[in-house]
Amino acid sequence: MKLGAFIPELLRHLFKKPATVDYPFQKLEVPKDFRGSPYLRPELCIVCRACERDCPAEAIEITAVNEAEKRFRMVIHNDRCIHCAQCVDSCPTEAMLMDTRFEISDYDRHNLKMEWEYVRAVVKPRSEAKTS
Amino acid sequence: MKFQIPIGPQHPALKEPISLRMTVEGEVIRDADIRLGYNHRGLEKLAEQKTWIQNIYLTERICGICSHSHTTCYVQGVEKLMELEPPKRGLYIRTLVAELERIHSHLLWLGVAGHEAGFDSFFMYTWRDREIVMDILEIITGNRVHYGINTIGGVRRDLDEQQVKRILDSLDILRQRSEYYKHLGTNEPSFVARLAGVGYLSREDAIALCAVGPTLRASGVAMDVRKDDPYAVYDEVPFEVCTADTCDVLGRTVVRIKELFQCYNIIEFLLKNLPAGPVAVRAPRRAKPNEVVSRYEAPRGENIHYIKSNGTDKPERLKVRAPTLGNYAATIQMLKNGFIADVPLIFAAIDPCICCAERAVSLVDARTGQEKIISLNSLKSLSLKLSAGNKRKREAEWPL
Amino acid sequence: MATVKTLIYLVIYPGLLFLFLYSTFVEWYDRKLYARLQNRMGPTHTGRFGLLQPIADFFKLMAKEDIVPERADKKMFSALPAFGLAIVFTAMLLLPLWNYSLDKPSVTSFSGDLIVVLYLLSLPTFIFFLAGWSSTNLFSTIGAARVLTMLFGYEVPLFLAVLSPAVLANSWRLAEIAAFYRQRPALALVNLLGFVIALICVQAKLERTPFDIPHAETEIVGGTFTEYSGKKLAIFRLMMDAEMVVAAGLLATVFLGGFPGGPLFGLLNFIVKTLFVIFFLSLIRATTSRIRVDQVVSFAWKYLAPLAIVQLLIVILVKGLLS
Ligand code: SF4
Ligand code: SF4
Repeated sequence: MKLGAFIPELLRHLFKKPATVDYPFQKLEVPKDFRGSPYLRPELCIVCRACERDCPAEAIEITAVNEAEKRFRMVIHNDRCIHCAQCVDSCPTEAMLMDTRFEISDYDRHNLKMEWEYVRAVVKPRSEAKTS
Repeated sequence: MKFQIPIGPQHPALKEPISLRMTVEGEVIRDADIRLGYNHRGLEKLAEQKTWIQNIYLTERICGICSHSHTTCYVQGVEKLMELEPPKRGLYIRTLVAELERIHSHLLWLGVAGHEAGFDSFFMYTWRDREIVMDILEIITGNRVHYGINTIGGVRRDLDEQQVKRILDSLDILRQRSEYYKHLGTNEPSFVARLAGVGYLSREDAIALCAVGPTLRASGVAMDVRKDDPYAVYDEVPFEVCTADTCDVLGRTVVRIKELFQCYNIIEFLLKNLPAGPVAVRAPRRAKPNEVVSRYEAPRGENIHYIKSNGTDKPERLKVRAPTLGNYAATIQMLKNGFIADVPLIFAAIDPCICCAERAVSLVDARTGQEKIISLNSLKSLSLKLSAGNKRKREAEWPL
Repeated sequence: MATVKTLIYLVIYPGLLFLFLYSTFVEWYDRKLYARLQNRMGPTHTGRFGLLQPIADFFKLMAKEDIVPERADKKMFSALPAFGLAIVFTAMLLLPLWNYSLDKPSVTSFSGDLIVVLYLLSLPTFIFFLAGWSSTNLFSTIGAARVLTMLFGYEVPLFLAVLSPAVLANSWRLAEIAAFYRQRPALALVNLLGFVIALICVQAKLERTPFDIPHAETEIVGGTFTEYSGKKLAIFRLMMDAEMVVAAGLLATVFLGGFPGGPLFGLLNFIVKTLFVIFFLSLIRATTSRIRVDQVVSFAWKYLAPLAIVQLLIVILVKGLLS
């Protein structure tokens, strides 16, 4: 045991640049596969509702606007979303993707809602989704 | 002078609500009592309403620090129920993330121990270096805390060459830093004086009170689910079970630091022997009626999930026994005859995760010591009955 | 003229205003240094380099709700912070900073002022004790008991360590002690051991790590200050900062040769020397972990007190050799 075992390490850092990042003024980069918020590419969605069924937070809501015209509306409730990307895994056509935004907080939860209204696409699904 | 001091449910040393009542004489604790139930989450009931897939993310959120432990434990159980055989590469990645998580958890613990002992510089430095692991985890899984890497039948993301290299590089820095913390943690006199001999738990007591994890191993019992009942790929990986025989908080620190080095070795082995192939197999949506118990060595100790299926796409029952619960009984033993000043350290030394462990409401009758589990309805009527005659007191007193 | 000078002395320099500003500066210095030692940033955004952060903190606390617990001894509870601050400010006036001359003693510089400063520095400890005791909170009571227990440990070594230079200088007057060591700087080295002991004791007196036992937040929440809030807490915090300045000033006077050179140069001297002392205090804070109250007492009596006596013996020996 020796007295002041920590002192050399402490003094070494006295004039070094701090390890902390001055956050709101300087931003860290997120890795490219970061799971931010999910978004939809409506031109690929075949409305199979796999994402709606698998979303653990029940954040995805798909409603039919007009059955005959095959118009649908998808709402992603970002305030409920837990950013797990299960919807991306479940989607058979890669219509669902994740972006890398992480500063999405807002004073009003309704501002976090994202909405798309679109005609159902006709795309051949991948032979097999990554998970059921 | 004998009096009782409450620590919690709100207290700076506790990041989560739990109540410790201590009968003290001066600075010495004569008796301790742990009261749970401030944090009932309704998690097991919720699990019964979610599908197998959705439940992965639910179990992940049982705990923020050992999130991978709970999903792995759950997913392993479900895989057994569905009779799935995840591919080797998937299992390797799963184990890799598990060990990275163990590193981050142990470094976090070291920092917390420093903070509880008032050694804030140690806390700052360990947490700074913990960022390295957090960054690796973010790169390979996409997030820092809830990795979401597990899925039924394997893992969700593959590793590429670059990532493997990045992890191996970071391991060198981590090894070096851990060496330093080992040196520091066992050499700084004021720190060692706070840890050595504190919270004594004899080998016999540790076994009798069913302690788990590093708490148990620090009492000289070499028990580790990874060795005793290997899951994932632990039967292929060479590693040692770390123990210490000082039976005190210093021992628990030493065990954790030793485990860090084992983790680095395991990760190196896993990355060097990573088999090729797919990372997941397709899972069915339903499971045949059956039941299963899944065990997992979380950073805090043995984690147990009991899962029962009934042929639908939802579990009929999911029961979680988090490691912290296993250590409560031993904690009381450790607290007795200690100093008030040591409470935060002793309690922190089991690395408690209270919200993982909270499950049921049990009432202890203070006079007779009788304990009964009570249903919600009778609890309601009981509280109505008790509070009926009373005027609301302006100055509430501790019900001691 | 004399009245104006006295007024300036009391209110502006080195009295109220200077001590207030300098205390906040010292708090900033301590925080920044502590942060940098830990590879962090410390206060950054309020004012240049975060210099105004302590002042901002002070005024923020002043504006907060002030709660007096119902069970507390209300008069005492409210009066204590003001008392404490007054005591520390009085001690500051006694430091030989400006209004002194060697040949004619005055109200603020007289033979025996060393002892008075030491006692004035002991009083805040009792204020803390009374503050904890009068709040009647369990945590405060334990904190109060710890304050007193610690006092028994460090007070004697502190007195011994600070008195030995005085013995060597053959004076009980701060200004004379300082002047003595300015004339014979080599003799200041004799007191090195005493300086180290005094540093450690001052650290204990200021209740900073490793001696922050009376308000160890992870053990007993806020300790003595658990029930204090708003203005009273703000004043207590200011008082602790001011106490740090005074204690550092005392050590600088006794061990480092005081602050020669009239108002302006003396001020510079004062700042450099106190910051030098506080640097060590911060370093100790960053290097150690909190110890237990029983360990403080046994440490103080096993090591500090005997070493302080050794220091006294050395001083007496040297004095014998010199004469
Ligand atoms: S990321 Fe997860 S929670 Fe969010 S919408 Fe997709 S499945 Fe639902
Ligand atoms: S899973 Fe994909 S294709 Fe199916 S509804 Fe959702 S976004 Fe559309």
